[in-house]
Amino acid sequence: MSETNLLRDRPVYVVGIGLHQYQRRSETTYVELGITAARSALRDAGITWPDVQAAYTGTALLGMGSSRIMLSRLGATGIPMTQVENASASGSSAVAQACLEVASGRSDVVLALGVDKPRGGLGAAPGQAGIENLENGTVVPFTHFALLASEYMHLHGVTAEQVAKVAFKNHRNGASNQYAQRQKVRSMEEILAEPISGAMTRLQCCPVGEGAAAAVIASEEGIRHLDLDRSRAVRINASVTRTEALYGAGVGIDAALTAETGEAAFNQAGIEPSDVDVLEVHDAFAIEELLYAEALGLCPPGEAASLIESGEFDIGGRCALSPSGGLLAMGHPIGPTGTGQVVEVTRQLRGEAGGRQHQGARIGLTHMVGIGAVCVVHVLSRD
Amino acid sequence: MTIQARHPHLLRLTDPPVILGHRCTSCSRVAFPPDPYGCEQCGSSCEDLEELDLEARGTVHAVATVHRHHRPYPTTPFTVAVIELSGGPVIKAIVAGSQVGVGAEVEGVLVQDLEDTEGNTLVDLQFQVVQ
Ligand SMILES: [Zn+2]
Repeated sequence: MSETNLLRDRPVYVVGIGLHQYQRRSETTYVELGITAARSALRDAGITWPDVQAAYTGTALLGMGSSRIMLSRLGATGIPMTQVENASASGSSAVAQACLEVASGRSDVVLALGVDKPRGGLGAAPGQAGIENLENGTVVPFTHFALLASEYMHLHGVTAEQVAKVAFKNHRNGASNQYAQRQKVRSMEEILAEPISGAMTRLQCCPVGEGAAAAVIASEEGIRHLDLDRSRAVRINASVTRTEALYGAGVGIDAALTAETGEAAFNQAGIEPSDVDVLEVHDAFAIEELLYAEALGLCPPGEAASLIESGEFDIGGRCALSPSGGLLAMGHPIGPTGTGQVVEVTRQLRGEAGGRQHQGARIGLTHMVGIGAVCVVHVLSRD
Repeated sequence: MTIQARHPHLLRLTDPPVILGHRCTSCSRVAFPPDPYGCEQCGSSCEDLEELDLEARGTVHAVATVHRHHRPYPTTPFTVAVIELSGGPVIKAIVAGSQVGVGAEVEGVLVQDLEDTEGNTLVDLQFQVVQ
């Protein structure tokens, strides 16, 4: 079976971005969250709602039928709207669907929106699959990742303090992000306090709050037709989704799945890992950033911790890793998170990230992993 | 009051306890937990999966002591380990005591320290360093 490279043959661009701040659960309705981000993205693109031909809403927690009641408040234009659920990667998959819709030629301007409000418990389907396991009810996500931290530290001679430096960096990045849920520079002492599980402390675990993120995706034709500012358009060079395969006993699935999804995305974009200037990865727990930096090929296995320590992954370093503050500081409201990564990378590639700008950023990557397990990677670039 | 396995489909309450996995008669893959649907390696249906006894013995690959838990059981702190069973599959289970480290050889023991809401005693599998 042949595999076409749609995004190479029919260029797709991010032309507008918007966010509603990620925050603790509040009285704000999801409709308010969603339309705030959507209006902001339309304004940023310089278009109006009737220019948008289709919408995909990434959401995992709202229940059925969230899009129309929300987006019709921008005008009930009757366009096709679809909810997209892929656990933590829901917002990434909304972007992926928008890319596909534009690259296929069906639409020239599509909105990808991520929105969610936690409702107590994530209601994940794998727990209802009828597959009994010894770890059910005992090993929750933070312990799954604490166990990966234990294995990583033992294998590579890395200390808990070194792992915690991921959170030190990301909290510092988040402190200059007005949309972040956590906007405080934290001391190593604060980060190492309040143990949750293994080496993972409270500030090395992401906050799950509420928020929204939006990206307007357009074709060449859309940009021409609407006379959009081409200099601020960021191209999407790769959009790859994969699910967990069998990797052999004892192989970490999160890293293995990331490695093969990343490799497919680099191939699709025609670039090498070393070409990437700015990355937003699924750092729901601090150890994950080390595992994924290595799985994505930024450095050999076991070296990410010392590279973080020496500032190579800081804004202004070799490449900027989680400049938004990542899930650890910007937050992880589930549905919005993957779309929000595309918003941050677009901002960085445009050179509009203000105090947290990584100078000269030209190629960026977004990466989310979701329960199930699924992985979604996008590669973006500017000329 | 009765004594029941907390995971009746995963354990045989013998001494020493036995872990129940499956083996695919079509591709020979050995897996845990036993699956009611099919083989992830070759796609064979569950009729091709036969029950397989796995020795409750293995090597610790990772440990984490849990300080926060959203349920009454297990009570915190408790320690969880990733254990590669001698029969192949890798499992996660509670280990008794906090002295269990990476590389330790461990064996399964049955622990009765839990009551359900009807007052029945539930037996669970934990691992300890091989005596
Ligand atoms: Zn099989």
